[in-house]
Amino acid sequence: MKMKFAWLITASMMTAPVLAADSIKIGVSGPFTGGSASMGVSMRDGVKLAASEINAAGGVMGRQIELVERDDEAKNELGVQIAQELINKENVVATVGYINTGVALASQRFYQEAEIPVFNNVATGSIVTKQFAGADFKANYIFRNAANDTIQSAMIAEEAVKRQGFKKPAILADASNYGQLGKTDLTNALQKMNITPVATEKFNVGDTDMTAQLLRAKEAGADVILTYAIGPELAQIANGMAKLGWKVPMIGSWTLSMASFIDTAGPNGDGAMMPQTFIQQPTTPKRKTFIEAYQKAYNVDRMPSPVSAAQGYDSIYLLAVAITQAKSTEGRAIREALENLNTKVEGVVTTYDHPFSAADHEAISDNIPVFGLVKGGRVGPAHPEDIEGDKALRIKPKA
Amino acid sequence: MQILMQLIVSGISVGMIYGVIAFGYQLSFATSKTLNFGQGEALMLGALVGLTTVNFLIGNALGNFWAYVLMLPVVLAFGALQGSVVEWLGVRPAMRAKSEAGWIMATIALGIIFKNLAENIWGRDALKFPSPLPEASLSFGGIRIQPMEIVVVIGAIVLMVAVELFNRYSIYGKAVVATSNDRDAAGLMGINTNRIITFSYALSSMSAAFAGVLVAPVTLTGASMGAVLGLKAFAVAIIGGLSSGLGVVIGGLILGITETLTGYYISTGYKDVPGLLLLLIVLSLKPSGLFGKAAIKKV
Repeated sequence: MKMKFAWLITASMMTAPVLAADSIKIGVSGPFTGGSASMGVSMRDGVKLAASEINAAGGVMGRQIELVERDDEAKNELGVQIAQELINKENVVATVGYINTGVALASQRFYQEAEIPVFNNVATGSIVTKQFAGADFKANYIFRNAANDTIQSAMIAEEAVKRQGFKKPAILADASNYGQLGKTDLTNALQKMNITPVATEKFNVGDTDMTAQLLRAKEAGADVILTYAIGPELAQIANGMAKLGWKVPMIGSWTLSMASFIDTAGPNGDGAMMPQTFIQQPTTPKRKTFIEAYQKAYNVDRMPSPVSAAQGYDSIYLLAVAITQAKSTEGRAIREALENLNTKVEGVVTTYDHPFSAADHEAISDNIPVFGLVKGGRVGPAHPEDIEGDKALRIKPKA
Repeated sequence: MQILMQLIVSGISVGMIYGVIAFGYQLSFATSKTLNFGQGEALMLGALVGLTTVNFLIGNALGNFWAYVLMLPVVLAFGALQGSVVEWLGVRPAMRAKSEAGWIMATIALGIIFKNLAENIWGRDALKFPSPLPEASLSFGGIRIQPMEIVVVIGAIVLMVAVELFNRYSIYGKAVVATSNDRDAAGLMGINTNRIITFSYALSSMSAAFAGVLVAPVTLTGASMGAVLGLKAFAVAIIGGLSSGLGVVIGGLILGITETLTGYYISTGYKDVPGLLLLLIVLSLKPSGLFGKAAIKKV
């Protein structure tokens, strides 16, 4: 309760001076309560940190940024209501956020119609930026600076098969859209390496007993478990393996870095690996300042979801630079500026040099994420050599 | 063989939980011919109250084990109180109005209210319940069991035996049995049947709350934990028969074991199907349940 109160105070301090009549309104939509809250709250805090820094430095075009935050509770229908409210009532110039692919797909239709840019900074579904791409649409208003599932599943397959030499992977995915689409992406990625998973198992969100799934994988001779699911069930997998006295490595999508997995699985979760665009380590000066500023602003040591915080932070800077370049808050002008960004943006995740084009709305390319490893309740780099020296900053190759 | 045994063991521990919750359905159904559709929420509230109590006791320098033991009476008392509230607010008005279905809607509504209440107090995240026993599993000839899973099975049996003994040998219990057999006749014999029904609801929610703190250390605790369990237990109650205490236990075991066996031998994607098929078969062949006595409704 005390924590919540502290939040409120911080929040009101940060938004209080930004009520000038000519402020630039940016919507923030994400789950701040519920199962994906750790990602949503970290994202929002990253966004708020960036906005307060920009405002302190004089704002955008001399105007302050005003954030309009809304909790979509990871519910599609609520996301839709919020989209309509932000567009029609709050008159936002752009919206950042979305943790859940389903909510993004349901909500961004309204922005596309209103020609207002949406900046996805966490949702990973491959289709998110492609929903309005192609010849049928004049322009695509959906951008992203998160590693999509095509990139992640290819990385997972590459890591398991090529780098670590596992031959018999088992896939464990939950029955949600996220899990099942990820499972398909993973199977395809493995197919390209001529590997067929020895077992593909499914479970429901909320399932607590994984004995049958794990025994099937074990009996099929699996030497590694590839996962596509979210925190609590991933923890049940790790705990279930410990119960059965069977230990093979767990490699999976970035959700293995969720606090609910790390905290619930405890020591059983040690060794789990997942793609990360950002690891809470000061490997570049920019990252160092970001981590320190975040820890100071929110009075935490471990960020609940470092990836979400970093991507949230970067999304606001990219947007601010685009608005400055467009010299306008009109949606069409911002989109055009994003597609031809002339200024290099030094972000936390990477340095964005022409991150988007009219055809490519993904700022994160497959060379940017590295593998994180859970150890002692924190995520560190799985291969420290990957982010040493000049490899620390990984930049999207020029098209 | 070892795998089969491992699956059966896991099935038993899941099934016993279903059984205890279904036992709660049976308790209130026996006396009042009504039941609490918010039984899953009673379980959830019990687990969350237990979590807060345990954390409070651990915060006062008590070990996990003793904190758990001291928490039990608190949770049982809370469960009894919660059950009485459900009966008083949801069931009694409907029975007084001789409404056939009013209690169904009322108990569902109360369940939703309890869930929202829990979301506001404890948040919507799944929380970890400190385990009173070591979490490392024991191995019996290659079959691995968590100590807490053994506690679940023993705890469930103890609860049900205690209630059974109470009904058979105490004067108050005999009043409960008399009310179950014939409410009108029991009323004429001077038994306060209204009080007996309140009592059976208290007992029913108490067993659900107890099931909650039994299952919590093995799974996670949260406002939404009751929904699936409550529904599964309802299926168990129908399979086993709502009028038989032994029936619901066996029904629970049947469902738990079928689930894990299907998951392994057929496909994890179809884990829930055979249980539901069984439910349909039982409903069409023996609607009163495998162990239930067919009731003749006199009109």
